[in-house]
Amino acid sequence: MRDARRKFVLGIALLLAGGAIIGWLYGRPFIGLATAAIVALAWQVRQLLVFERALRTGDFEELRYSRGIWAQIYAEYNYQRYRGQKYRRRYKRLLKEVRNSTKALPDGAVLLNADFEILTCNPASDELAGFRGRQDRGQRVDNIVRDPAFTEYLRSRQFDRAVEIRSPLYDGQWLNLRIVPYGADQYLLLIRDITERIRLSKMRREFVANASHELRSPLTVISGYVDALSTDPETPETWKKPVVAMQEQAERMKTIISELLELSRLESATTDPGRERIDVCALLTSARKIYADRQDVAKIEIECVSPAILLGRASEIESVIANLLSNAVRHTPPSGRITLSWRAGPEGGLLAVEDTGEGIDPELIPRLTERFFRVNRGRSRADGGIGLGLAIVKHALGRHGAELEIESQVGKGSSFTCRFPVDRLVGAELVPLRAAGAQDADKA
Amino acid sequence: MQPIDLTGHISKRFNKELEELRNSVLTMGGLVETQLNSAIAAIVSGDSELGLAVARDDYKVNNLEVEIDEECSRVLATRAPAASDLRLIVAIIKTITDLERVGDEAEKIGFLASKLAAMDRPSDSYRELRSLGNHVLQMLKDAMDAFARLDTEAAYSVVREDELVDGEYEAITRQCVTFMMEDVRSIKRVMNVTWAARALERIGDHCKNICEYVIYMVEGRDVRHTDIADHDAAREE
Repeated sequence: MRDARRKFVLGIALLLAGGAIIGWLYGRPFIGLATAAIVALAWQVRQLLVFERALRTGDFEELRYSRGIWAQIYAEYNYQRYRGQKYRRRYKRLLKEVRNSTKALPDGAVLLNADFEILTCNPASDELAGFRGRQDRGQRVDNIVRDPAFTEYLRSRQFDRAVEIRSPLYDGQWLNLRIVPYGADQYLLLIRDITERIRLSKMRREFVANASHELRSPLTVISGYVDALSTDPETPETWKKPVVAMQEQAERMKTIISELLELSRLESATTDPGRERIDVCALLTSARKIYADRQDVAKIEIECVSPAILLGRASEIESVIANLLSNAVRHTPPSGRITLSWRAGPEGGLLAVEDTGEGIDPELIPRLTERFFRVNRGRSRADGGIGLGLAIVKHALGRHGAELEIESQVGKGSSFTCRFPVDRLVGAELVPLRAAGAQDADKA
Repeated sequence: MQPIDLTGHISKRFNKELEELRNSVLTMGGLVETQLNSAIAAIVSGDSELGLAVARDDYKVNNLEVEIDEECSRVLATRAPAASDLRLIVAIIKTITDLERVGDEAEKIGFLASKLAAMDRPSDSYRELRSLGNHVLQMLKDAMDAFARLDTEAAYSVVREDELVDGEYEAITRQCVTFMMEDVRSIKRVMNVTWAARALERIGDHCKNICEYVIYMVEGRDVRHTDIADHDAAREE
């Protein structure tokens, strides 16, 4: 290219110089120079026209075998064009593959921009949630899937979890929607059909509820007769002990069944637990009364740091307190101390049950809320624990939007803290949490 | 007729305000859809708690209506919109009124569901009500989809659908009358069923209204109180 350029410049210069010299020989150097310039211009204009025609018609035969700068320009142009075509073909193939693979996905995928407007979506998202590729471009995603839970999910921008909603298209179908942020402010919405899972868990719940219910009536008959036998003076002395044991076990089975029923009721309840006004301190005091006459339990103290009122279902909160307290009593020696406390502030409400009991192995803490999970199988059978209490606590708290935090040190004691969201509190602004903490420190 | 284009304004803020208004109407629509869905489920499954929850949550719909209404007045006052923008605002003001009424009817159905749950249930567990309810729910969904997509084709089909709903309501009423004549003791219960069917039928009418506003918004003509068949013929020409 450089060579051709030099040649071109040299050629033009020579031509102009030649014209000037010939003109000079005839005594008219400027006319000679002008003539040479016109010849050069005419030649270049002709070349330009040829090149333009070649571009227009795509027929480069005339240029292919010519030489000089125009042939060079042509060669360069052709090379770039060829390379561009090659890349374009490659990208097209790649794009087609990507598009085909998203088409083949069984899950719906919708690309969204920073304002959650639809950029593009795959056919599965149409089948699952009714997104129409071309028509819905630029539409806000929650204008098409209008479930309030989903709208709230978008607004909260907490995309580490997913939402489960009823399908907008088919009755009885359930969808799992998850937003995955990627790149600079772009989002991918994934839609999965979870009807089968919802159906299975519903079946399991119903099975547990029905089985417990069916077990209850024969058990009532058995325990009725056992009760009669235990009080009957004619029962032979050798049978007295077995009858008492039977009575105890029947009582235990009754508790298990009623707790299973309670658990399945909590699990299947879909509606909001409501907003009854609950005086937590009063509930704590009445929970303590149950153990007031017993000599073999640890000392139970109540710390009411906040007068805040909790909004929720009183019966469920009562059962949370009763379960946590009965756990604490069972695992704390009579010399120990149990503290029930309620404090609230702008950050939320804390209901805590702390004991100085035997503590829990940290490895077992995550498993505590599983059904029928017991830290020490051998001993808790004797003292009445059946392993459903914390599962009930977890579900009841979940319905109130609260969380259960468990901390424990083996040999020193455990603390179970229920953290309620601030929108379930009334009068929380009176005593902020930090001040409450300071007050505690003073007391200690 | 100019198609509605919310992005064609010199003021970006105005674009955004109109877009926000449209989005909030659809949010309200979504809430009403959920309310209606729960209300129908409550009646069919005899879940009195769910029915009462629907009745209790109606205030959310009302709040949204007030909020959107205020925003519309504000846009009217500050932007003085014209042509398609004005039609959009007018259509929104009317749409939310109808949506709020749908919410009220859903509240009523929820309340009736809690009452019916306490009475004996017929062996078919209110199959006709379920069918009518699903039909109306589908209409509401289609109406909101038509609103979101500015799809007059869908809007026209919802308007036509309303006749079928009226027919179904007619059939339920007839059936209820028969029940009442057969067994006088069932009158109290069957009356409630009639009320629920009536509420569903009214919801169908509101959906029809919403679709008429969509047609007005997009095409600029008022198709209320006219025979829809005439418009079909006119459009084909």
